[in-house]
Amino acid sequence: MATYQEIRAEADARWSEFTAAERPWIRIGTAMCGQAAGALEVVDALRAELSARGVDAVVSEVGCLGLCFAEPLVDVLTFNSSRMFFRNMTEEDVSGIVDLCAGADDPPMDKVLGYLGERPIDGVPDLNKLPGMSYQSRVALRNGGHIAPGDIYQYIANGGYFALNKALFEMEPSQVIQEITDAGLRGRGGAAFPTGVKWSFLVRSPGPPKYILCNCEEGDPGAYNDKGILESDPHTLLEGLTLAGYATGSTNGIVFIRHGHDGPIDRTETAIRQAYEIGLLGRNILGSGFSFDIEVSLTGESYVAGEESALMESIEGKRAQPRFRPPFPAQFGVWGKPSNINNVKTLAYAPEIIARGSDWFSSIGVNRSTGTAIICLSGRITYPGLYEVPMGLTLGDVVDGIGGGVPSGKRLKLLQTGGPLGGVLGADSMSIHLDFDEMRDAGAILGSGGIIVADEDTCAVDLTRVLVAFCQYESCGKCFPCRLGMEHLLEITERIARCEARPDDMKLMQSIGTTMEGTSLCGHGQLGFGPIRSALEHFGADFRSHLEDKRCPTGSCLAPMLSPKSTRPYAADFQPAGV
Amino acid sequence: MSDEVTLTIDGKQVTTRPGAMVLEAAMDAGIYVPYLCYYPGMKSFGACRMCVVSAQTRTPDGQYRPIPGTPASCTTPVSEGMRVQTASSELLDVRRGIMELLLSEHPHGCLTCHRIDLCGPSDICLRHVSVNDRCVTCPKNERCELKDTVRYLEMDMDTPLTYNNRHLPLQTEDPYWEMDMNLCIACVRCVRMCDEIRGDSAITLLERSGRTLIGTANGTSLLESGCEFCGACIDVCPTGALVERDYKWDKAAKTVASVCPHCPVGCQVTLEVNKRNRLIRTIPDRHGPANRGQGCFKGKFGMDFVNRRERLRTPWLRRDGSSELTEASWHDALDLLAERLAQYKGAEYALIASPRGTNEDNYVAQKFARVAMRSNNVDVSSNLRPELVEPLAELLGYPAATNGIWELAESACFLVVSSNMTEEQNVVAVPIKMALQRGASLIVVDQRETELARHASIWMRPRPGTEAALVAGMARAILDESLDDHDFLADYCENLAEFRNSLWQFDLLKVELTTGISQDEIRKAARLFASTKPGAILYGLDTLPSDARADCVRGLVGLAVCTGNLGRRSTGLFPLFYGANEQGSKDVGCAPNSLPGHEGYSIAQLERIGNVWGADLPREVGLGLFGIVDAVRNGQIKALHILGDNQAFTDGSLGDFLGALDGLELLVVQDCFQSEITERADVVLPSATFAEAEGTYTNLERRIQFLRPALGSRGEEEVDWKILSRIAQRMGASGFDYDSPGTVFEEIVRVVGVYGGVTYDRLQAGGVQWPLTTDHPPVDPSLYGTALKERKPKAGIISLPAVVGHAAPDTPLLLAHGRVLHQPERHPQIVNQNGRNSVTRDETVEMHHEDARGLGVQEGDWIEVISEESRITGRASLSGPQRGVVSATTLFAELITDLESSDAPDPMLKVPRLPLTVARIERLTDVAAAD
Repeated sequence: MATYQEIRAEADARWSEFTAAERPWIRIGTAMCGQAAGALEVVDALRAELSARGVDAVVSEVGCLGLCFAEPLVDVLTFNSSRMFFRNMTEEDVSGIVDLCAGADDPPMDKVLGYLGERPIDGVPDLNKLPGMSYQSRVALRNGGHIAPGDIYQYIANGGYFALNKALFEMEPSQVIQEITDAGLRGRGGAAFPTGVKWSFLVRSPGPPKYILCNCEEGDPGAYNDKGILESDPHTLLEGLTLAGYATGSTNGIVFIRHGHDGPIDRTETAIRQAYEIGLLGRNILGSGFSFDIEVSLTGESYVAGEESALMESIEGKRAQPRFRPPFPAQFGVWGKPSNINNVKTLAYAPEIIARGSDWFSSIGVNRSTGTAIICLSGRITYPGLYEVPMGLTLGDVVDGIGGGVPSGKRLKLLQTGGPLGGVLGADSMSIHLDFDEMRDAGAILGSGGIIVADEDTCAVDLTRVLVAFCQYESCGKCFPCRLGMEHLLEITERIARCEARPDDMKLMQSIGTTMEGTSLCGHGQLGFGPIRSALEHFGADFRSHLEDKRCPTGSCLAPMLSPKSTRPYAADFQPAGV
Repeated sequence: MSDEVTLTIDGKQVTTRPGAMVLEAAMDAGIYVPYLCYYPGMKSFGACRMCVVSAQTRTPDGQYRPIPGTPASCTTPVSEGMRVQTASSELLDVRRGIMELLLSEHPHGCLTCHRIDLCGPSDICLRHVSVNDRCVTCPKNERCELKDTVRYLEMDMDTPLTYNNRHLPLQTEDPYWEMDMNLCIACVRCVRMCDEIRGDSAITLLERSGRTLIGTANGTSLLESGCEFCGACIDVCPTGALVERDYKWDKAAKTVASVCPHCPVGCQVTLEVNKRNRLIRTIPDRHGPANRGQGCFKGKFGMDFVNRRERLRTPWLRRDGSSELTEASWHDALDLLAERLAQYKGAEYALIASPRGTNEDNYVAQKFARVAMRSNNVDVSSNLRPELVEPLAELLGYPAATNGIWELAESACFLVVSSNMTEEQNVVAVPIKMALQRGASLIVVDQRETELARHASIWMRPRPGTEAALVAGMARAILDESLDDHDFLADYCENLAEFRNSLWQFDLLKVELTTGISQDEIRKAARLFASTKPGAILYGLDTLPSDARADCVRGLVGLAVCTGNLGRRSTGLFPLFYGANEQGSKDVGCAPNSLPGHEGYSIAQLERIGNVWGADLPREVGLGLFGIVDAVRNGQIKALHILGDNQAFTDGSLGDFLGALDGLELLVVQDCFQSEITERADVVLPSATFAEAEGTYTNLERRIQFLRPALGSRGEEEVDWKILSRIAQRMGASGFDYDSPGTVFEEIVRVVGVYGGVTYDRLQAGGVQWPLTTDHPPVDPSLYGTALKERKPKAGIISLPAVVGHAAPDTPLLLAHGRVLHQPERHPQIVNQNGRNSVTRDETVEMHHEDARGLGVQEGDWIEVISEESRITGRASLSGPQRGVVSATTLFAELITDLESSDAPDPMLKVPRLPLTVARIERLTDVAAAD
């Protein structure tokens, strides 16, 4: 069995072949976001062009650098030069890249985004100095866009599995947990529960078997950071998962991914296979005596499957419905065995925390929110993307500094954060810091890290009904308050949007909301009224305009709603035609 | 951990078990908390949120810490010192909030109308409530849990929520039940019942969110989905979403607790009777100790026979050589009988009692035969396999099952030998399937593919008749590998050395050659059974030739003894009878070889019982069922007295029984319907059914249970014990002056030793298992628990040559029928005719490849299996494990549709068993098959 040092030496050798760039090295982001922008077509065109012109170059499909606005993003490393990044590439643009590989002096400057490396290139900005990058502090996303996720050696050459090796041979499991606790790492799935404490629950549970589950259900509209990590750097998750397994004495890890997210699924499965091949998973990892297995499990397409107990039901092959607690997962989890559920992002931090120490990690961030926040910025914003920034940045920094503000000279109206069950914030919220507790106090959670930006053309009522429609559609149907309450909330918000509200509708919504909050089985129902409450708080004027003046302030409510179909009117399916 | 938790609910101190939920503790303490999704006996679900409470837990330092929000009491475990509030005004408001939401989807037009109890479904409504929104048009009106809850919450129903009727079509295509998804509240009780308790998973939740409703997966019919039509889902439905089709709209005028007459499980049921004196529904009793709320297709949907118009209402006589039966008065009938029966006293008379007769009926029947007719020729018509229990009496002491049915839920291993219990004794299979869900193992020995074989860890299909050798082979393997329970054997087994020695003949190679089961398989089964404890053995021996049964039971006793599975909880041996009161009939002496109380014919017994009866008793052992039939055939018996119809009379089990009856000089039949038997009778007397009788049944776990009369009589029908007593009195016999079933039972208790201490009063409060050890039911109901030392069991001794002799002869092919709940790989299809579903599919006939070669049959050929009763056409599959056996399965669904369309007065009495029958095979050309 190879030791870590041997594997590392092999990896370094392979990596230096790439970085020496005796053959030009072209990296293209082909995560789902890149693919959506046409990256695969660019790859094909590029390969065809290279072979047609007989130019020798290495083409790698890598993950995502997080700059969604620039996709498809291609970067080229040529001998004795720095990496040059080209944005929004099309099939027509590949000849310029091939020229560059063939030794041309004039890269296609109209598409150039920046350079990365020690040798500055004339007329090209340093990528790290661009506003989108300069605010960032990439920990979990450190390898995104840089290494090919399908090649475990590239990950190892960049320091991968160092932490695992260190933990297995130099640390006791309790020390690993202590390190995570000291780092102040809090769960990134939404609840922000201290991860070290959560792990310690599992340590005390009897086993084997014990399970560490990784939640990549990620159904929130506007959130794509978990998928981003799995697509760009699946090994960082696998290493984190294995570390968690070691720390808690678990025997099995399960990565739970939403059915249909083919990119993350394929890349994670490939990574697991490679890790088994070189002894970083399976029996007796690296000769340490510790054994750990990881498999991928797929959900049905259900939002609630991301709730931890529904997730366990789903893994067992049952309908994704939440269980009641107690018993808690640490006592009675998947298959009735002790289990612990962590978000992808949470686990992805673990390798760097172990490798670089808790002090380093806790030095990033503010107050009780240490480390970084992984933000998915989308909506009416100039530079949408996946950014990892230190905790403590203000929302203004994020929206204006990184995102470049609202395009077309419009004014910012609201931010919707933390997924559909989170809340909305107004334009006056720009001074709020990215901090779990501060955000919660402001009535919006950081949650999974999605921030959707809306400009002045958006009516808060319109946004609210879309969010409610989502929550209603995704209710699992188990507990009565959520199943039935959501239907009525949607009905009422639709009435308000159409300016057909009844006099007592606001009161009625409030009372349904109270029932749901007080009695629902899981967070979906308990938080289901949140979007309405927070919209009312910040944008009561929009609602009043609908209710009193019978007009939509922006007109956006008049357009047909782009959202899942309501699931209530069963009868409609059985109406004879023409009625 | 202490075994008690004390908490305070609404200021009342409540003590309960640890791990109980607050709701359970409250209910036990008599505090009502409304609930809709919870159901006693099933796991909590936590969906309806109607049972929310506010609660505070006590911290170790004596402080009280509130549980945040309003937790659902069905999912909140109790803790020491907890304080719970169940009915504050805030909680009521929360519940009203949920109920308002619920009613926005559930028709409730009449809920607040003061006329609700006066209105008929078709009355013109002044409130303009459309017909399908009315409560009065709901089949569950007046027994709707939703309505009860609304009333408890004192809601004023002026909610501004919009009401939405789903307007879904009714589903009425499947037999026996109807489904109205407009009334479903998605409490999921039915699905959980089907999964958790019944182990069938025939129904499931469909879709999600507001479209969450109940149905079968992929929209199949229940006939294909693995439904066993037990009706448990209907019983737990809180609304009218699932209902029985028969008497759907009828309201119960009275309810009576009684016992089901269809099988020896003895399910306690609540009989609902409408105001027109008809039995409209049976609902298994949740507190019934034998069934715990479970029932089966027979009990749930097979009770309508008591209502039939064709019931016999008066006596009928064949007068003076007339060929016609004519109606007569009781007076004439009894006079005639007294006169004619007097001519056949002694061995010329025989009586066949009914397994549906109560203990009182059958006690008086055997007493009538013995005292009035001076004949010991008395048996029960279901007693086709007396060998089920005879070896138990010989080896262990009592001819009865050793343990209780629900102990099986905690057994870890089951050995089931030739029993189709899912159909014959359905509810016994319920605790077994529950245990299997929890990881227990099941070994099935059966040529037939029964429903239970589907759940088996090991399914062995030995050559017919060699089951005893297989069982002995297992015992041998256990002793060889020293897997036996040494301590138990040393302490308790009376004939250990003899038993060990007897097994020497059962060399596993010989057993393999005899049974056709490989040594490895036998060893595997032996290891599994010996190492997984507690283990229980259940056997019906349905397919064994009669001469092979006793040996097989001896072998099973040996297996139980050598593994120590006797006298302990969740172990033991369970003979599975056919007849509902077969155990009781044997107990009260309705047997040719024994006086009441399993006492044989010793001089002392004859004297003791003779003294009680005030009569001199015949001393020779009488003829059993088969003996009686033979004697009828050869003219030794001239007068036959039959109580009740039985399928054994007509299905060939007793040969050409009907033909034999023609030779009789006198045939007396007491029955509730005309039948092929009554057609041949000289005197027909109208019997009452179980629903009109008061009395007791004893079930297969020796539980004596009380039947109460639900229906008043409509004609002159009478219970059998009364009829027999009146005949006896006419004949001048003494000791038949009973005035109530209670007086009969008092005499039974005096005569039958094991019934000692049982009184009618105690039975009224719930059944008791004999023998009673103290005034209270024994803690450990297993028969030999405390008495093993005094009465040491013997392990059964069998000999190999004898067993080999039982094996069915090689020459003809035997057809083993199987019946399974579902078989998706065979692509069943539903045919809908006249709005009714029935199921069809391609048949496959499994046969041994050597048999096939002999017949020139190849895999996939169309063949026809022809037996006396049936012709089955199907494709040949050459995977059969045994030469000489061909097997074919039918779907349970076909049985159900047949039963539903049957016009027999009591279709459940005619449920075909699955015998091994002699058959031959013809190969069909493809053209013929296409026809």
